[in-house]
Amino acid sequence: MKVKWMTLALALAFAAGATLAHGNKVHIRGKVERIGADSLQVKTPDGKSVEVKLVASTVYIQHMPVKPGEPPDTNDNKPAKLADLAIGDAVVIHATPKGVSLEADEVKFSSPESNKVAAAGKAKS
Amino acid sequence: MRRGTLLILLGIALVVIAIAIAASLLHGGLSAKATPTRLEAFVARNARHLAIPRNARLTQNPVLDAPEVQREARLHFADHCAICHGNDGSGDTPIGNGLYPKPPDLHKPATQELSDGELFWIIENGVRFTGMPAFSSNGDHDHAMGNHGGGQDSWKLVHFIRHLPHLTVTERLEMERYNPKGPEDRTEEQEEDQFLNEATPKARPESQTHKKK
Repeated sequence: MKVKWMTLALALAFAAGATLAHGNKVHIRGKVERIGADSLQVKTPDGKSVEVKLVASTVYIQHMPVKPGEPPDTNDNKPAKLADLAIGDAVVIHATPKGVSLEADEVKFSSPESNKVAAAGKAKS
Repeated sequence: MRRGTLLILLGIALVVIAIAIAASLLHGGLSAKATPTRLEAFVARNARHLAIPRNARLTQNPVLDAPEVQREARLHFADHCAICHGNDGSGDTPIGNGLYPKPPDLHKPATQELSDGELFWIIENGVRFTGMPAFSSNGDHDHAMGNHGGGQDSWKLVHFIRHLPHLTVTERLEMERYNPKGPEDRTEEQEEDQFLNEATPKARPESQTHKKK
């Protein structure tokens, strides 16, 4: 019983309230310049080249445009893999700064081919 | 050793411990950016363990696991919990990273080795002095996902927490649609989608037409 109260008293001593903070995530948009085994180089719209590390937990998503007349958050984005990515694809990367480098949490990409397919689908419907 | 000497030594030891605790607490001006020390984490985990009644710890999940239960819990988690815990349960979110203590990575043994009853108790009662609120179904807690009185929704969440280490990208994408988003998040998401939509010259005229509207 004494141990229980002592533990609870110590817990009270350590207590601190919750607070809000801004995230440290970085969002990068651009075109794929180079694909490495564990990194991706992206050329941003302002002409800068940014390298992002790819890790085991990086998630790849193929962006599919929203169908005409559908709400903006009803796209049919699909799970993908690094091999689906090609040079020239448009990407939006959500990354976490780790030291001096960036580590990709999520790589969302849209390839000209997938958009052609989507456009053809729209034309048929 | 005489009793008096022993008491003096004990007193000195207590003063040293108090100074160490005060230094630990005051370092960084009580900033929530800090990470709890091992001692704090140890004390907090044991305090939580002791605070959960034994019968609650041993309670079995009365809700049977099923795909529909998983989906309901997944979307509930996306709507209520993911803002701190993240859809994947890692706790790596802007709000989660700003809390003291940080939300635990729900994949890890420290959470997965808790009993169903303990997980249920924590969801229902919250954890004092942390960012974890009580989601007890008694009172007027209004669930956006429908009426889940009697703690049923919390039991379903227990099933989902067990599933988290096996969460698929498809499930995560579905959850993203149910995450609460502010105007800034929505604007940024739309801008990113538009950037991706414009990957081909064919998609560009459509986007521009929408803009003109």
